[in-house]
Amino acid sequence: MQVYPKINYRGGKRYFFRFSLVQRIQHIVLFTCVITLSLTGFPLRYHDQSWAEPLYNFMGGIDVAPWIHRGMGSVLLGLFVFHTGYWLYLFFKHRVGRLIRDDELTVGNFFKEFFSMEMIPTAQDGRDIVAMFKHLLYFTNKPPQYNRISWKEKFDYFAPYWGIPILGPAGAALWWRDEFTQIFPGWLLNAFYIMHTDEALLAALFIFFVHWYNVHYAPEKFPLGTVFLTGYLSEADMIHEHYAEYTETMKAEGLEHEIKLQGHH
Amino acid sequence: MGLLVVNTVHRDMTRWHSANAFLGEKSKYALLLVLLVSVFCASFWSAPVQAEDELNCVLCHKFRGLSRIDEEGNFRLFYINENLFMKGPHKRINCMDCHRDIEKIPHDPAKKVNCTTECHLLEPSGKKKFSHKPVAKILEKSVHGRFDEDGKPKEYQEDYPTCKSCHEQPLYRPLSFFKGVSSGVSRRGLGRCKTCHQTGDFAEDFYNHVTSRLQKTRESKEIVEICAKCHEDPAFQKRHGLDNVVASYKDTYHYKAIRFGSDRTADCVDCHIVYGESVHSVESMDSPTSATYKANIAQTCRNAECHHEAGEGIASYRVHVDYNNKEKNPMEYYMLKFFSGLMAAVLYFFIVVIFLELLRRLFPNFSFNSAERSGHAVTKPTTEGGE
Amino acid sequence: MLNLIKTVIHKLYILVLMAFTVWYGFFLYPVIFGHSADHSVEALVVESTERAGSFLDEAHLAEESMFDAALKEQGSTATTDLGYMVIEEQYVQGHFHHVGMKVESDDSNLCLRCHGAVPHDKAKSIRAFLNMHAFYVACETCHIQPKEDAEAWAFRWYDKAEGNIISNPPGLTSLDKSMYGNYGAKIAPGFLKSDGNFRFLNGAKERAFVAKYLKEKDVLSSTQQSKMKKIIHRNINDKPLLCDGCHTADKEKAYLPFVQLGYPNRRMHDLTSTEVVGMIEKYQEFYMPKFLLPGDGWHEETAEGEE
Repeated sequence: MQVYPKINYRGGKRYFFRFSLVQRIQHIVLFTCVITLSLTGFPLRYHDQSWAEPLYNFMGGIDVAPWIHRGMGSVLLGLFVFHTGYWLYLFFKHRVGRLIRDDELTVGNFFKEFFSMEMIPTAQDGRDIVAMFKHLLYFTNKPPQYNRISWKEKFDYFAPYWGIPILGPAGAALWWRDEFTQIFPGWLLNAFYIMHTDEALLAALFIFFVHWYNVHYAPEKFPLGTVFLTGYLSEADMIHEHYAEYTETMKAEGLEHEIKLQGHH
Repeated sequence: MGLLVVNTVHRDMTRWHSANAFLGEKSKYALLLVLLVSVFCASFWSAPVQAEDELNCVLCHKFRGLSRIDEEGNFRLFYINENLFMKGPHKRINCMDCHRDIEKIPHDPAKKVNCTTECHLLEPSGKKKFSHKPVAKILEKSVHGRFDEDGKPKEYQEDYPTCKSCHEQPLYRPLSFFKGVSSGVSRRGLGRCKTCHQTGDFAEDFYNHVTSRLQKTRESKEIVEICAKCHEDPAFQKRHGLDNVVASYKDTYHYKAIRFGSDRTADCVDCHIVYGESVHSVESMDSPTSATYKANIAQTCRNAECHHEAGEGIASYRVHVDYNNKEKNPMEYYMLKFFSGLMAAVLYFFIVVIFLELLRRLFPNFSFNSAERSGHAVTKPTTEGGE
Repeated sequence: MLNLIKTVIHKLYILVLMAFTVWYGFFLYPVIFGHSADHSVEALVVESTERAGSFLDEAHLAEESMFDAALKEQGSTATTDLGYMVIEEQYVQGHFHHVGMKVESDDSNLCLRCHGAVPHDKAKSIRAFLNMHAFYVACETCHIQPKEDAEAWAFRWYDKAEGNIISNPPGLTSLDKSMYGNYGAKIAPGFLKSDGNFRFLNGAKERAFVAKYLKEKDVLSSTQQSKMKKIIHRNINDKPLLCDGCHTADKEKAYLPFVQLGYPNRRMHDLTSTEVVGMIEKYQEFYMPKFLLPGDGWHEETAEGEE
C-alpha cells in the first residue's frame, strides 16, 4: 500500500494528508451515484413540477432513466459492501493484527481498538459541540479545535452509511416487487416506498446545503474545495478545521516551532 | 389461402422478431391479426356502407361557427369536422342513423342521440342489427349504473356517466406491423388485402378496425383524465363518500411513469376491471366479483400483463394511500411523520449552526468574556477542546 | 486598497450566504411538511358551501356554478393521441364530434365586448346560422348599412387578434372543408378615403370609445349610461341585412363584393347556388315569415318575450 507523507509541499506551501487514493475513488463513485440517482429519482417524486419532465427526458425518459437509476443504485449498494469490507480489512490488518503480534488480543482490547477507530463518535465530539456553541454564541472567541475527524465529518460519514442500507434494500424490493411479494406482504412495499423517497430527500437536501456548505460554499473554500481530488488540505484550512490534528502533526514532523496560532485568518 | 398468408407473414415476423426481441408481444398481435383477417375473409362484412351524406348535412355543418347558446347556458357547437369524422368507425353510418328525429332539412333543434339505437349495419358475428345496447347493459350493472340492485334510482342521478361523459366520437388508432411496430396504416398490409377485396374502402376500414382493437384504444393519460373529470372533483367525492383516489393514484409509480409517457404501467381500468372484461364493468370493491375485491386483488395484479410473478402478498399493497389520514393509513401516516420529523430536526439544526457560523465570521473576535476581548484573540494550541 | 475590496467582497459573500441560509429554511418547510397538499379536499368543499350559505339561494347557486364552469372551460383544450397524429382541439363540454382545431377568438370587435361571440338568440330558426356568420363576418357588416343617399361601403378582412386590415385570407381558396369559415379573420365595412386608403367603420377610434365607456361606465349615472348606449348604437339599422342580401341567384346584386374579398369562383358559386339560395327560400316557406324580419322581432321580444 502506498505510503502518503503527512505533509506535502507544493509551491512552498504545506498541505496535510487527509484521504488516500482508494478513499477518494470511493468518494467519487459515491457522489456520482448519488447525483445520478437524484437526477433520475426526484423528477418522479416531483412529477407535477415544471422542471420534472424536461429533466427526466434529459436523463433518458421513462424508458431509460429507471434503468440508469437501478444500475446506479446497484453500484451504490456494491460500494457499500466494498467499503464495509475495506474498513474491516484495515481494522483487522492494522489494529487486530497488531494485537495478535503483541499477543494482547482479548475481548476487551478488541473492543477498545474498535471504538478507537477515528470514525467512531466519542465523548470528545460532545465536548467539541459544546465548544462550538460557546464560540458561536460569543461566550468565547476561541474556535473549537477539532481532531482529525470532526463531529461534522462523522455525521457526513454516517449519513450515507445509514442511508444506503435504508434506501438500497427498499429500492431493490421495489425493483423486484413481484419476487418480493412471494415471500413478504405487499404493505411492506408501501413502507419501503416512503423509506426510499423520504430518506433520499433528506440525503439530497442535506448534501446540497450542509455538506456542500462545509466543503464548497464556505467563504474560505468557495467555489470549490479541492481535498476530495488531491487528498491534501491546505495549512489554513487545517488550522481552521482540524487544529488539534494540525498541532499534533506539526509536532510529529518536528515543526513545533512553526505552528501557527488559530484565530485570525 | 389463409394459411398461406399466415406462413409468409410468419417468416417476415421471425426476422424482425430476432432483431427486436422486446417487440415480441406485438408480434403475437400481428399473428392474431392475420388469423382474424383470413378467417373473416372467408365470411362476411356487411356490405360496405359509406356515409353518403345524402342530405348534404355538411353544406351547413362544415362551417366552424355554427353554434348557439342553449337555454341551460351551454355553448352548443354544431360543427362537423368531416376529415376527422371520416377517420372513425362512424364513417360507415349516416348522420340521420343516429340523429333520428331529423326528418327534413332545414330541421328543428335536434334531440339527444340515443346510443342504444339499433342501426342498419349488420353486426358480422351474429348478423343482427348493430347497437350499443350490450355496452349500455354492462354499464347499467356496473358501479356506474344509475340504478341500484332493486332497480331504484340512485341518489345524485346527474353524477352518473352517460356514453358521452367518457366518449367523444371514436377515432381509429391503426397500427402497422411490417418491419417493426409503428402507428398508422401499413400500406403493405393493406396492399395484400386490396388484391382481393377491392370494393370501396372495405379493406382499409377493416384494417383500421382490427388494428385499432389490438391495442389500448386510448393513452393511459387520457384514461386517467377521463376518470378524474368526476373523481377529482371534491364536491363529487363528498356527495358519494369517496376518497380522492386520483390524487393518491398520482402518488404511485404507476401514474408517474404514465405521466412521463410510458404506456406500460397500470392506469385506472387496468386494475378496476376483471381481466378480459369490458372496461364498462367497473364494480365496487365490496362486490365479491370485483377486480379490487380483497380476495381477487392478487389475481388482478398478476393477470393484467403486469406482475406475472407476484405472490399472494401483493394483495396487501395499498395503491390509494392518503398520507394525511391517520385512521385509514396509520403506518404511512406515522412513517411520514417520523421522516418529516427527522428531516426537520437534522436540517434545521444545521441551518441554525451554519447561520451562526456565518454570523460569527462577521464578528470573529467578539466575546462576552471581557478578559478575552481585551487580550489576544488567539488560542494556545492544546489537544483538548476549546477551553 | 486591494485588501479593502477583498474584505468587502468577503463580507458581502457571507451576507449573501446568510440570506441563502434563511431562504433555504423557508424553502425547506413545504418540502418537508407539504406532502400531498392536493388531498386537501375538505377545505375546498367547505369554501363552496360557506359561499352558498351566505347570501345566495339555490337558484343563484346554480347560476354561480354555471358561471364558474364557463370560466373553467374558457380556452381549455383537449388532446387526442391517435399514434400517427395528435389532435389538439378546443374543448366544448358535451360536444361529441371532434372539432379538430383550436379557435382564435375575436378580441378586436367592439360589439363583442358586450354582446359576446355567440350573440344571436332571438330568431330561433336561424340563430345558429347567424352565429356561424358572426364567426367570419363582423356585426356591423349586416347591422349597419349605408344611408339611402350615401355611398356604398367598401369591405375588407381584419385579423381577429389585432383588428388590423389584412389581405384576403388564403383559407378562402382551400379545398379543405375544415377551413370553411375558419380564416382567423372577419369581413367588415369601411370607407375608401380620397387618398385611396381604407378606414374601417368601426376602427381604432370607435374601439377606443367603447373601451373608455366600459371602463368608466360604473361612475356614470344610469341615465347617462342609457344616453351613451344610444350614442354607441345610433348607426344600427332597424332591419339588418337579410340572407338573400348576399345569397342571391343574381351575383351582381349581392351586398358583399365576393370577388374583391377573395372568394374564388367555386366558393362564390356555392354561396349563390340553388343549394343555398333554394334552402333559404325553403326556409321562408317552412317557418313563419317573421324570422325574415328579425329587426322587427328583436325589439318586441326584448320587451314582451316570445310571441
